[in-house]
Parts: sequence; structure tokens; C-alpha cells
Amino acid sequence: MKNRLFREILPQVSKPARYTGNEVNMIKKDWKKSRVKMAFAFPDVYEVGMSHLGGKILYGIVNEKSEHLMERAYAPWPDMEEIMRENELPLFSLESFRPLADFDVVGFSLQYELSISNVLNMLDLAGIPLRAEDRDNDSPLIIAGGPVVFNPEPFADFFDAFLIGDGEELIIDFLDCVDNSRSMKKMDKLIELAGIEGVYIPALYEREYGKDGHYKAIKPRFPGVPARVCKRLLRDLDTAYFPDKPILPYMEIIHDRAVLEVMRGCQRGCRFCHAGIVYRPVRERKVSTLRKQAEMQLKHTGYEEISLASLSTLDYSGVNELTRELVREHGEKGIGVSLPSLRVDAFSIDLANEVQKVRKTTLTLAPEAGTQRLRDVINKNVSEEQLFTAVEAAFKSGWLALKLYFMFGLPTESESDLDGIIELLQKVKSIGNRYSKRPVQIRASLACFVPKAHTPFQWQAQNSIEQLEEKRKYMMRNKSKNIKLSFHDSRTSYLEGVIARGDHSLSEVIYRAWQKGCKFDGWTEYFHFDRWMEAFEESAVDPDFYTCRQRSYDEVFPWDFIETGVSKSYLQKENDRATEAKLTADCRYDECSGCGICPFFGIDIDIKEESRHAIKN
Amino acid sequence: MRLRTEYSVGAELKFLSNLDMMHLMERSLRRADIPYALSEGFNPHVKLSMGTVLPVGISGEKEYFDLELSQYMRADDFMQRMNAVLPEKVKIRQSVLIPAQMPSLMKTINSACYSFIVCHQTLDLMNWAAEFLSNDSLIVKSRGKKKDLDKDLRPGIYKVEVKQNKDLSSIDIWVSIGEPVNVRYDELLDIFLKKGFSHDDIVEVYRKANYIKEKGAFYSPLEKVTAS
Repeated sequence: MKNRLFREILPQVSKPARYTGNEVNMIKKDWKKSRVKMAFAFPDVYEVGMSHLGGKILYGIVNEKSEHLMERAYAPWPDMEEIMRENELPLFSLESFRPLADFDVVGFSLQYELSISNVLNMLDLAGIPLRAEDRDNDSPLIIAGGPVVFNPEPFADFFDAFLIGDGEELIIDFLDCVDNSRSMKKMDKLIELAGIEGVYIPALYEREYGKDGHYKAIKPRFPGVPARVCKRLLRDLDTAYFPDKPILPYMEIIHDRAVLEVMRGCQRGCRFCHAGIVYRPVRERKVSTLRKQAEMQLKHTGYEEISLASLSTLDYSGVNELTRELVREHGEKGIGVSLPSLRVDAFSIDLANEVQKVRKTTLTLAPEAGTQRLRDVINKNVSEEQLFTAVEAAFKSGWLALKLYFMFGLPTESESDLDGIIELLQKVKSIGNRYSKRPVQIRASLACFVPKAHTPFQWQAQNSIEQLEEKRKYMMRNKSKNIKLSFHDSRTSYLEGVIARGDHSLSEVIYRAWQKGCKFDGWTEYFHFDRWMEAFEESAVDPDFYTCRQRSYDEVFPWDFIETGVSKSYLQKENDRATEAKLTADCRYDECSGCGICPFFGIDIDIKEESRHAIKN
Repeated sequence: MRLRTEYSVGAELKFLSNLDMMHLMERSLRRADIPYALSEGFNPHVKLSMGTVLPVGISGEKEYFDLELSQYMRADDFMQRMNAVLPEKVKIRQSVLIPAQMPSLMKTINSACYSFIVCHQTLDLMNWAAEFLSNDSLIVKSRGKKKDLDKDLRPGIYKVEVKQNKDLSSIDIWVSIGEPVNVRYDELLDIFLKKGFSHDDIVEVYRKANYIKEKGAFYSPLEKVTAS
């Protein structure tokens, strides 16, 4: 197969290096000697999937730390897909070039709601039945993990199991259990797997709906199957596995650099943020651990850049010491350090200057909203003064371009908040012109706010496409010429919103949308909104039901049975405080906000270094 | 201190672009802990300059790069350390010290040899080669910069060597790079297809070597250094 691939297929496709495998540090274990064979499938193209940190961690853990094996597969780009279908070439793994159907387990990473159409397409390309009920014991178990599966119900038809929460320990427990239950019938096997903390098996539950068709409850059908599925929590990040020898791709990928995960979780408490709730509590790594990991990764990859990843790296207690040490140890060899997300304050700019002594291209800041009132509503603890101080510091120290992230369509938003965005950009521009000799470039990226499950805004209505379009036009009319605004597509955001708070009825819609040819929905050139709308209509599902409704506090949500450790009453309290524009402090710097995570798991937030820059924002 | 290195790229890596290959080399230099020199200025980069671009889709037996080092290192030491970390399908064949003022590979390499592995049962390849060389002009649609314009490859064809065997035979063609005409392997393929070969007959194409051609003689970029 490999021969045919290299000789006949690959010369015909764009970017063939996506499909050739055999990269530096790839691990190809002995098929026969390995116990459970799992394919890690990423429902996007190679250069996106290879950039994903979670996949690198799981790949390393399974292959280095267990007797199971893990190989990789990515979504072929449509040109490759066409040729594969023409030649009846099934979707294969990059390690042993085996069809995915040969594996015991195929696990998809769901990072984004709309990648589900690619999951179906990949299963189809692999010749595996799409629906769990059509798969017998001979088919691989099809599972999913990632942030999206904290609301698994929309995808329930397609997966045998969802793995919810941190994967480091969960994946091994799961594969061990698959190995030990080989001889069992599929149902018995599934009941066995449901006993693992963090595993949700949709086939073992029944759903109840009210007369109005609203979801009411989900209940286990068998004894021993948990009524509430609790996410898996990795208690100690510092001692947890992290890959020293990540795969080094031959072709350029999106995040083409070494990565350190300095911490997991974030307690800033931005009320729109999904990751900020589901990955609580904050768990940090020690600077000494990270320095060792950096050294090993650089030694084994030869990367020229190392990135400090987390939800809010500037809040990491050791960020100052770590960046200085990394620059000191590796800077001479021309190896750079990069900070992916910057907090909006002067300290951040100082640190950014420190690590990017040389190249001052674009600096990115995220005020998220245009007025102080609205920033208070979403609990983005940034004052106008902090923002301008940061901008001033940036331009003073030589940055020439600034990119600012905003959201629009936020709860309680009015015209004056949109004006606020435009005014804020004008002020930033004039600060830039004051401090910089060359004309500065200001760009703003505006994302449509999408309410997500498990967040304080899960009760809020999402703006309709029409409302968002009106707001977009309003801002385009009122902005001055020298400021560039780019808007996320309102239709994509709408669909994302439907699925983000959707229920089991969406499985049918998703299936039909895939049948109509939907795939790569996150890529503008392949997004077919009309096909999705047809699929809704044919399934008799009203998408507005999921997005445009203000939901009441007594409504039961289809994701309520997934336990994140953060209490629903806290989310409700936060939603109430939002409408009053009241701030809630970050418990890292201030008092406990009572989200419930620590008592639930019987732990505490885990701060490793004495913070030398304790700034309360 | 400057090193000139000859390396091979196996068929499995024939789909890498020139930029991919450069990244591969730079990252291998770091893994091997080679004392490479960095450029000055705002965006310091490894002083590595690759020879002529190996086209995406074909492998190469003798490709070249020049590297500047910040401190002395023996050429065989360099070779050994690099080969220990390079991917299996890339091998350094030879490295030599070269004078600092030596003109760059890009400026001096002006010829290459492409090898076509064919499995044609009926054609007499000797005759085919003689016929091929007897043409006054060999016109193809350019696949390079002046896309689809007529282009005459003949002035850039220097010699052809045939090794005919029962099953697989090879046709090696020495061509010019840059001046008088830049002959691309895919343009040669087009001529093969016009002159009696089908796609299925051509099993493999690779670049066998790069040369510095002077007064009718073909020197390897390493030879040219040691000679001077």
C-alpha cells in the first residue's frame, strides 16, 4: 500500500508531506507485541492536528508508558479524499499505513464543535459504520475527547464512548479495560468501561423529553452505570507525563515550535469562557520541571522556538523566572521564547520586550469588549487605564503593529458598546502615532459571542445572524479608514452555537449534513450553511431553539449530568452578577469565589512559585 | 569557517519542499549540537545556504549546502555527528572545508544530471537517445516562470547516457541549470511522453548529481573546491 501511495497517489495531491509519516521521533511499535491498538484521529488536516498539544501528550503516554500502541490519522484534504475514494484507498495511519478499521480503538479529538462533520467523513473513508448501533464487536470502538465533549449529547449517535476531562491517566485506564474485556459481548464491555471515572457511554442511557419536546432527563439503563458522569481530573501536573521527544514534522505546521504547558486551568473567571470552567482548578508546573522539559525537547527536536502554553501564561507564577532562564540558556543559539497570549497590562509588555528583544512585529491584546461596563459584565478584569498603559508601553518600546481581540453580540450589549470598540481603537491609534515614528498598524478581530455549556452565560440568548450582521454593518460604517476590522462569520458562529448547547436531536441533523457533503466546516471555503439548514429542516429540528432563547433557571440542560466540579449555583450567581456588571475576583490573587471545584475534588489550586509580580487586576 | 557538504535525499522524502529541507537541516544542526554561526541583525538565522532547489517530487543523490561555523570543527566529525541525528532517508556523504570567499553554490552550480528509470519493453533506448540528441530543437511548454510559453530545451541538453537492461533501464540526461536555458525535470518528462513513453513506463526520476560545468567538463562542487 505504501508503495502505491508514494508512486501513484501522492504525486497528484497538494502538500503530499501530509500523508507520508516517518517523521523524526515518530514511534512505530511492534503491532503483534502490542496489546490494544489505538488510532488517534484528528478531524482536521495534518498541519492543524499536528499542532495540537493534547495529541502529543497522549501519543507519548500510550507509546512510551504502556504496552498498548497509538498511531495517528488526520483528515485528508478534499483533493486527497477524492483520489482515495477513486482508488478505494481506506483512511490509514501514518505509522504502519494500516486502515483505521484494523485498530481496536479509534479516538477523535473534538476541539471545535464543527469538526464533527469531518469525524463522520473520516469514519466513512475508513469504511467504519458511522453510527454506534451499526457497529458490532468487529468494528473498532469509536471514542472522543477534548473540550467539546463536555456537552456530548449532540454527538451521542456516533461514539461508543466519550472520555471527559484530563486524558493522561484516563486513556491508560480505558485501554487497559478494553484489553481486559476483549472476550466480552459489546454491551457487557461497554458497561465495564462505564465504570471508569471520566467515561460516558451514550448507549447505556435513556433520555426523557417533556410534552413540549424539551429535554428533561437522562438516566442509566443498567445498574452500576453512573447517573452523573464526572470529568477526570489530573491532580498533579508537575509530575505528570510530558513528551520529551515530540514528533518533528517535515512540513511546516501551524504551531511549528517546542511547547511547554506551564499550567492547566485558569481562574480569571471570564464569564464567556468554556475552558476557564471545565479545566479548573489551576495546576502549575515548577520552573525547574519546565526548564528540564525545555532542554529535553530542544535536544530531541532542534526547534528554534519554544512557546509557553496555557490559558493565561502571564498568570503563571513562575513566568518571569522561566522566560529569563530560557532566554539565558538557549538565546545564544538563536532559540527564541514566545508567549502566545498576553495579558493587558504593562508587566506583560515588559516581558514581551524581554523575550522578543529582536523582532517586534505584531503584539496581540484581548480587551474583549469596548466599554468598561461591558468588560465588567463579562468579568474581563481590564480597565481602560491598564489597556492604554499597555499600549503606550508597547509603542514606546518599538512595536509597530497591534492586534486587538474583541467579541460582539455579548449579553446586555448596546450601540454604545459598539461605539466603545471604535473609540477605543481610535485612542489606541492616536497613542501609537504619538510614540512611534512610523505609522502604526491597528487591526481588530471581532468574534461573535457564542454562549457555551457549563459557563455562566449558558442561560443567555445568542444574537441572531441578522442582529450580528446589523452590528457588523454599523461598525463598518462608523470606523475610520485607517483601522482594519475583521469579523468572524456570523453563520459559522450560529451553527457553532446550536451545537454548543444542543441535545441528542442534533445527531440526526449532523448525519444528514454530512450526507449532503458537509466537511471542513471550520474552513470558510468549504462551509455550506444552506446544506446545514436543509438538514435541520429535513430532521424537523429548529436550530433557533438552541440559540435564540433566553433560558430559565429551572430548565434542565442536556449537559447537566456531566460533572465539571463547578456548581451550577455558582454559574447562576455569576450570570446574575453579570447583569449587574459586578466583578468577581481571581482567587489566585484574591479571596475564594466559591465555584466549588476545590471542595468537590478535595484539592486546592496548585501554585508552584512564589509570585514575584503579584498584580491584582 | 565554512563547510561544503554533499548529501542524499531518499525517495521517501521526495515530497519535501526546499524550505522543508532547510528546516530539516537547521533542526538537525541543533540536535547534533553543531557550532553554527548566526547572522547579525534583528532576526538572527543560521548561516546555511542550500544549493539549487531539489524539485518537489524527486529524490537526489548528490545535493549540497554550505554552512558557516562559529568555531573550528573537523569535517569528518561534522559528518558523523550530523548522520547520527538526521532522518534515515537523508545522509551526508561528504563534507569539506572551503575558503570563506568561495562563491556560493547557487551562483556556481550550472548543471545537473537527471536519471529516468524506465521499463519500456519495445523501444531500443540507444536509438532513442541518438534520435533525442539529433533534434535541433526540443520545444516544450515552459513549466517554470514563463508558464506555458514555448521553450527550447535543446541548447541546455549536454549529454545522454543509457544503460539498457532486461527489465529496468536508465536514461541519464545532463542538462543546464540557469543559463543558457533552465531545464526542468518535469519538462524533460513532457518530452519523454511526446517521444514514445507512457506515464507507466517511467518508474522513477531522481537527480543524480549537481555540477559546476567549465569548458565542457563537469566538476562536482566538492571537486572544484579541492582543486582550487
